[in-house]
Amino acid sequence: MKNAHDPSLAVMDLPRRDARDKLRGRTRYTVDQAGPEVLHAVLLRATVASARITRLDVTPALTMAGVHAIATHRDAPGLHGIGIADHPIFASDIVRYHGEPLAVIAAETLAQARRAANAVIVEYEAMPPVLTLQAALAPDAPLVHPGWESYEVLHPGATRGGNIAWEARVDRGDTDAAFARDDVTIVEGTYDVGRQNHLSFEPRAVIASYEDGRFHIQTSTQAPWTVKHVVARVLEVPESAVRVTVPAVGGGFGLKFDCSLEPYAAILARKSGRAVSLVNSRREEMMTCLCRENAEIHIRSAIDAEGEIVAREASVLMDCGAYGGEQVFLTTMTAHTLAGNYRLGAAKIVTRAVYTNTPPNGAFRACNGVYNTFALERHTDEICAAIGMDPFEFRRRNVIGDGDIGATGQTFQGDVLAPMLDRMVDKYPVERRSGRWPDGRLYGRATTVGTWFIFVGPSAATVNLNADGSATLVTAGVEIGSGTMMQSLPQIVAANLGIHPDAVIVKTADTDAAGRDLGVGGGRTTVSIGAASEAACAEVREKLLIVAARLLQTNAAALVLTNGRVEVDGKPGSGMTLKAVIAEAELTTGPIAGSGAFTAPGTTAMPGCATGHFIDAIDIPVFAVHDCEVAVDEISGRCEILSYRVVQDVGRALNRRAIHGQIQGGVVQGIGYALTEEVTIGPDGAVDQTGLESYRVPLAGDVLPIDFELYEGAPSLGPLGTKGAGEVPILNVAASLACAIANATGKPVASLPMTPERIATLIAGEAL
Amino acid sequence: MTVSFTLNGRARSFSGDPRASLLEVLRDTYRLTGAKEVCGEGFCGACMVRIDGHPATACLVPMGTLEGSDLRTIEGIGTEAELNPVQQAFVDFDVVQCGMCFPGMVMTLTHFMKDNPHPTREAVKSALTGNICRCTGYERIIDAVMSLSGAAHPVTEVQP
Repeated sequence: MKNAHDPSLAVMDLPRRDARDKLRGRTRYTVDQAGPEVLHAVLLRATVASARITRLDVTPALTMAGVHAIATHRDAPGLHGIGIADHPIFASDIVRYHGEPLAVIAAETLAQARRAANAVIVEYEAMPPVLTLQAALAPDAPLVHPGWESYEVLHPGATRGGNIAWEARVDRGDTDAAFARDDVTIVEGTYDVGRQNHLSFEPRAVIASYEDGRFHIQTSTQAPWTVKHVVARVLEVPESAVRVTVPAVGGGFGLKFDCSLEPYAAILARKSGRAVSLVNSRREEMMTCLCRENAEIHIRSAIDAEGEIVAREASVLMDCGAYGGEQVFLTTMTAHTLAGNYRLGAAKIVTRAVYTNTPPNGAFRACNGVYNTFALERHTDEICAAIGMDPFEFRRRNVIGDGDIGATGQTFQGDVLAPMLDRMVDKYPVERRSGRWPDGRLYGRATTVGTWFIFVGPSAATVNLNADGSATLVTAGVEIGSGTMMQSLPQIVAANLGIHPDAVIVKTADTDAAGRDLGVGGGRTTVSIGAASEAACAEVREKLLIVAARLLQTNAAALVLTNGRVEVDGKPGSGMTLKAVIAEAELTTGPIAGSGAFTAPGTTAMPGCATGHFIDAIDIPVFAVHDCEVAVDEISGRCEILSYRVVQDVGRALNRRAIHGQIQGGVVQGIGYALTEEVTIGPDGAVDQTGLESYRVPLAGDVLPIDFELYEGAPSLGPLGTKGAGEVPILNVAASLACAIANATGKPVASLPMTPERIATLIAGEAL
Repeated sequence: MTVSFTLNGRARSFSGDPRASLLEVLRDTYRLTGAKEVCGEGFCGACMVRIDGHPATACLVPMGTLEGSDLRTIEGIGTEAELNPVQQAFVDFDVVQCGMCFPGMVMTLTHFMKDNPHPTREAVKSALTGNICRCTGYERIIDAVMSLSGAAHPVTEVQP
C-alpha cells in the first residue's frame, strides 16, 4: 500500500500556516509563555575555568525576599552524556569551565533571584586550566577529568584516556605502502578553525511544573525525547515521570538538539510546588553556547601519475570543551567527510575529541562537516596545484560515484556528484579562476564539492482520520523555523490520503501523545518523520478502502483517494466522499487511525576498518556543489562575494520555495562562519564575545541572492525519494570562499574565520 | 512616578521604576510579547516598536521618557482579517522561518515603505541594518518588500 499514490501530488509551494501569527506578534514561543503565576529562576555560574570548590553555602540566599527554592549538585547527582556519562548538571567538587552552573535559584521575580544568586557564598581553590588543544595534549597537562576511568561508557569500543575524551579511527587498506611508492606526489596541509555561535534568536528557555507526581516540561528544544531521557537520568526518576511539550521554537540550528536548562527548572518546580521559568540571558547564550567546535585538521594525500588519490591520512582534533557532548558522536563524521567525497585507495583517519577547561561545544548545522569540507577542499586545490591539474577536472575525475567505496567501505549508489558538477559548469562556464576585477581588486573563483549525511534513526507517527474528513498527524516533531512541520509533513500526509494539506492538523510535540523520536536535526525530519507518517497513512488507507470497497461493491485495489473522495480509479465522480466512508466506518469498525514507524536498518560497511564509530556507514548521503566568485581588497583584506551558486542534491523537492529559503539562509550562515563570526577565549577561560557588538553576524547589506539548482533523482531511502534540505546548504560555504580567496590572493588560506585582518595579513605575507 | 501614554490606541498609565525598559513593561506588564528580547543592546531590532511614529528599539527606552507618547507595537499593526501590505507580502513570498525577528522587521519596513514607496534594493538593505535575521539570509525578505515598490496601493497602516 505504500506509495500507492502519485508522489508528485505531494509537490507544491504550500504556504506556512504559522506565518500570519508570527508576523502579527501572536506566536507564543517558550520565552513568551511565563505569566504572573510563574516563578523566575537564574543560574549561579562559576567565574573561573578550573578550580576545586572549597565552600558552597546557599543558606544566606534561602532567606532572601521572594526566594522559593534553591538547588545544587545534591539535588541532581546523575551524570549524562553521549557515548560517556561524564556530565553532571551542577559542578560538585570541581569547576571545569567558566560559566558552569553551581546552583539555581527560583524567586518571585528575576531581580529577586539575581540578588539571591549574589548572596550564595562560593569559595574556590584555583587550579591551572587547560584552555587550548595543545595545552590539553601536552605530556604533563592537568586532567580535566581526573576520574575519567570511572565514568559509565554508554557506547563501547573507543579508545579514551586522559584529556582524550574519545578517539575514532578508520584504517582501510595499507596507507603506509601507498605513501612509500616512488611514483606518487605527496601533498600535506594543516588547517585550523574557530568556534561558531548559533545565535538562535530565542535563547534556550524552559518552563517546568510538577503535577500529579510527574514533571511537565515546556521547552524550546529540537529533541523532546532527549530532554525526557536526560531529565529522568540526572534526576534519577523514571522516564515515564517526565512529559515534554514544545511550543514554536525561535531557531535552533543544532543548539537545542541537547538537553540544556530543562533539569534545573524541573528540580525547582518539584521543590517549590510552582511553575518555574528559566531563560538564558543573551550574555549566557554567548558565553555558554554549545558552539560548532574549534578544531585542527591535518591531511596528507598520495596522488599517482594518473591523478588518482591512492592514499590519505588525516588527523583531526576537536575541542569538546569541558564535557564530551556531541563531539564524541561527531568524531565518527570526520571519516565520512575527509575520506568521503573522493575515491581513495586507502585511508587512515584518526579523530580525537579533546577535553579542555572551556564551555562545552555541541551540534551546529552540518557540524564538523563544515570545517572538514573547508580543510578537504583547500587540500584538494593544493593537490591540483602540486600535480598541475585543473581543479574542476580533478574533482570531475575523482568524486565518488556509482559503485565506489566510502570511508568505511560502504558502496555508494548512483553517480550524483559528477553530474552535479557538470550542471554547475554548464550553467556557469569557468573563464578564469584568478585575476583582477575591473576596479583593481583581486578576483578569485572556486567550485567545491561536499558530502554529508541525513541523520536517520527512529521516528513514530499516528494519523487519526476525523469525522469531517480531515486528518490529525501526531508526532514528536518540532517546528524550529525550517517549515518542515508546516509544509513537507502535511504535504506528505495529504498526498497519501487524497486530501488538501490544509485539512491535515499537525499536533505540536508532546511526549505524552507521540511516540519516540530522535529529534529535529541532521536533516532528518522530512525523511524519518515523513516515512513514519507515510506508514501511518498506509494503515489508514487500508482500513478506509476496506469500508469503501464494501460500500461501492468493488475491490479495494480498484480504489484511489483523491480530492477528499474515494473514487474507482480512472472514473472521477464514481465514488463517495471520505466523510461518508468515515461515517460508515464509525458504525461498523469504529474510527479510523493508523500508526507508523521508521528507522534506517543501517548500511553495511567493511568489517573491522572503523573503531569508536557510532554508525558504520551513512544511510542517506547528501551532496552539494558550490561555486563562488570573490573580490578581495589587497589593503583592507575585505572580501566581497560577487556571486554564489548552489547545486544541491535534494532527492525529490517537495516544496521548492521552502528549500530556497533554507539555501539562502544556510549559505548566509556559512558566510558568517567563513568571514566574520569569531569566538575567542580569554586567559580566564571565558568567551570574549558577550553580545552582538563583538560577535558579528551577517546583516542584510552583507549578503547577496544565492543562485540555486535543485538536483533531483539521486537514490534515497526517504519517503517519495526525499532527502533533508535544510542542513546541507551551509556545508561547503567556508570551503568555497576559502578556495576562492586563495585563488584571488595566491596565498595558502588555512584558517577560519577569514576576517579582513587575517586576509590582509596573509596578503602581506606575514605568518598568521 | 506615573507615566501616561497611548498604547496601540488605548490610554495607559504606568507607575513603576522609571528606569524599566519599555520592552520589559510591554512584555511583563501588558503581556504584549510580539516585541522580543534578543540582544538587549539595540543591535538586532527584534523589539522594534513605534514611538510617536518613529521606529525605536524598546529595549533601550526607559519608561520615564514616555510621558504623553503614542506607542504602537506589532500587536497594533494589521488585523486578523487584513494584514498590512508588508505582512501580506511576507506571507505571499513565504519568507517567514523561525519568526522571532519578523515583528521587528514589519515595524521597520512598514515605516520605511511609507516614506520610501519606490526604494532600491540597496536602500531596503540599509533600512534593515538594525534588524538582524539568523534564519533567512535576508534576500527573500527584500524580494517581498520590492514587490510593494510601485504597487497600486502604497503601503498604508492597517490597524485594529
